[in-house]
Parts: sequence; structure tokens; C-alpha cells
Amino acid sequence: MRWEYDRRILIRLFMGWMCAAMLLAAPSQAADFLSDEGYEEQSENVRVADPIEPFNRAVFTVNDKIYLWVLEPVATGYSKVVPSDIRGCIGNFFYNLGEPVRSVNCLLQGRFRDSGATLGRFAINTVFGIFGLADPASNEFKMAPVYASLGETLSVWGIGDGFYLVVPLLGSSTLREFTGTVVDGAAMSTYSPWNDDLLTVATAQGANTVNRTSLRLGEYEELKSLSFDPYVAFRNGYFQIRSKQRDHSASAN
Amino acid sequence: MKSKQLLFPVLVPVLFSLVMVLFSQSAVSATPDPTEQFRPFLKKVTDTLADPGLKAIPKNEQSQRIINIVREHFDFREMSKRVIGQQWRNLSEKEQAEFEGLFTQLLQYAYVGKIDEYSGQQVQFVQQRIKGERAEVQTMLVDKDKSIPVFYIMLLKDDRWMAYDVVVEGVSLIRNYMEQFSEILRKDGYSGLVKQIEQKVAELEQNVKKT
Repeated sequence: MRWEYDRRILIRLFMGWMCAAMLLAAPSQAADFLSDEGYEEQSENVRVADPIEPFNRAVFTVNDKIYLWVLEPVATGYSKVVPSDIRGCIGNFFYNLGEPVRSVNCLLQGRFRDSGATLGRFAINTVFGIFGLADPASNEFKMAPVYASLGETLSVWGIGDGFYLVVPLLGSSTLREFTGTVVDGAAMSTYSPWNDDLLTVATAQGANTVNRTSLRLGEYEELKSLSFDPYVAFRNGYFQIRSKQRDHSASAN
Repeated sequence: MKSKQLLFPVLVPVLFSLVMVLFSQSAVSATPDPTEQFRPFLKKVTDTLADPGLKAIPKNEQSQRIINIVREHFDFREMSKRVIGQQWRNLSEKEQAEFEGLFTQLLQYAYVGKIDEYSGQQVQFVQQRIKGERAEVQTMLVDKDKSIPVFYIMLLKDDRWMAYDVVVEGVSLIRNYMEQFSEILRKDGYSGLVKQIEQKVAELEQNVKKT
């Protein structure tokens, strides 16, 4: 009898939690360009607060210099030595390593189909794509990559962004997103091939960053040259890209 | 009695299909297809960019020629209105026209650099969405190593779809400028904004001349 009662409470708690999660998740940021709401000036409670703007601006400046003085020259040199298709393969390899973490996050968000698809992508690309260097899952099996991260999971669970945060080396984030990134990274390091020591991990991260930058050379400077306040432009761009990534409706493509 | 009973099941489908035919025809004539309008338009833009004759003329004329074609399906006034936001109504007609000119110039110079970069990238049409007088045409700009998703957000004006926003990789140009402009407007007002855009245009103009 007692067990029956407990179970009922548990079920009720679970249902309540699910409802709460769904309700809280309802005002997801999905931006519809065909409605005017996206063009109205956002009220303070919609836009993520930026209370530590002076700090963020300082980090933004430092990141800017690191990009222009270190990352960009290194990536340019690298792009001259390594042909672009090989750089694409390296990018695929790093992306593939993140698939298990994405799959778990889909599961935690209740996106069961996406979770399975991501795991399927991981299996296909690891086996037929030679450790993920190629992406036959997208090209031959027509399984498009799926976006998922712990930051998104936390937002689905109703946890707010906290505030906007510019992280050294990493760039635009928010308190919640940065927490998610750290935990996702820690989860990935449990099975990644380089979990021996910090230097190896840092080298792998650096290689990934240089490789990624080499595929998008010139874009940063161009965006910066067209903006009036690069700090605001990149902050706005970050939130726009994020809401696009997290819009899983069919029309978003 | 009997004839009435017979008449009803026959007449209703006939009437219904008639209404459907009429309705669908009127719907087609009311909203032209945005993709059908943008396909030849973007083709014209890329053809002009690929034209070797374009590179022979001075930079300023190059951008002028491109902007004149772009004007056919881009509504710079609507863009200006949206990028300024609520303050637009407080501007005088003269100021509105002045701003429209400036903002067009800004976009013009912003994309002059693209003329040299153009190397045969093709536009692929992915899908479109129509919602009343608005439409979104989703395209892919296909380059050698990568494809860039570019969405055009447009408004129907006299049977002509006119774009008022371009969304590149999920970032809306207008909404991005809107947030930057709203801070400038708050701090320095309209005159401050005009001064900053003029400065930016001059700066971009210098870059163009250098290359």
C-alpha cells in the first residue's frame, strides 16, 4: 500500500516537473522573421542582461588582440600549408567527437528522435567515415547534423541565462552557457583520445581552434569593419545565431 | 421531394469545386511567387558581378551599377525604417530621406568589397515561406569549400516582392544594426547617429580607394 502511494506521488511529481519544464521552455527564443516582434526593440526582460559590460568589453578587447596577433596569423600560415579539404576533414573529426555529448543532451531535452539520429551519425561516421574524418552520415545517409548542448538542456529545464559573459579565448557566452560548455567539455574528455594530461588537452583544443579559424579567415575582420560598435554587434550576433541553432522547427531548416 | 434529394448531393460538390477553382485562381493572381521573382533577380546580380566589363570601370561606378540592380527588389526605405525602430516616426520627412540615403550608402560600400571577391559562387534556392504580405526565401550561397545560408525577408508591394532584411547564417543584418543604432540614438541622438554613419561611409570609401 505504502509503495503504491509513493509511486503515485513520484508519478505526480514527474508529471508536474515535465509540465513545468514544458511551460518554462515554451517562450523559446525561436525567431520568426515574418513577424514584426523580432524587429521591435527588445524589452529588458527579453534581452539577456549585461551587468558586467565593462569587464566584458575588456575581455572582448583582449580576445580581439589575441585573434588578430596570434590566432589569425597562425591560422593563415596553417591554411597555406594544409589544403582545405584536409582542414575540412579535421573539422569533421573534432565535430564527430562531440556527437555522444550531443546525443545525451538531446535525450535530456526529450528530443528522442534527435538523440537517436546523433548517435547513429556518430556510429556511421566513426566506422565508415574513418574515425569521423569524413561525414558519410550527412552526404550518403542524408542525416543532417543536429545541434544540442548542455546550455540548451539547462534552458529547456527553465534555467535562465544569468547574464552575458565574454570568456577569455572562448568569446561570447552567458553564465548558463559557459557552465554548460565546461561540463560538456568535461564529459567529452572522459572518452576523447587525449585525456592524459592538461598539455595534450590544450594542444588538441588549440589545434581545433586554429583549424576552425582557418576555414573562416577574414570573416571576423570584415564583420568588425562594418560595425559601429563591434562589442554590441558580436553580442547581438551571438544571441541571433544561438536562437537560430535552437530553433528545431522544420521551417528553420 | 425526390428531385430535391438528388439535387443536393450533386450540386454541393459542383458548387464546392467551382468555388475552389475560383478561389485558387484568385489566390494565385493575388500573391506572386517570391522565389519566381528572386530567381531571375539574383541571377541578374551574379551575372553582373561575373561580367568582366564591370571590373574595367572605376570602383565607385561599379558599386553604383550593382546598387541600381539591387534596388529592383530591395526596399531601402523599409530597411531604414526598421533599423531606426520606434524613433522613425519622430523624424521629419527630410531626415527620413537623409537617413535612407546614408544607410543605402553604408550598405553599398559594405558590399563593394564583395565585387572583387566574387568568383562564380552560385545561388541555390532551398525553400520559401509566405505569411500574408510577407515572405522568406531561403537560399544557399554555394562556394568552393562551404555553403552559406542566406535568407531574404520580404514584403509584397504592388505585386513585387521587396526585401527588407538579409539573414546570413542566422544573423539578421537589420536587427544587428538596430541594436547598435539604438545605443547610439540613446546616447547621442539622431544627429550623433548620422555623424557616425557618415564617418563609417567615409572610412569604407577610403578602403575602397586603397585597393
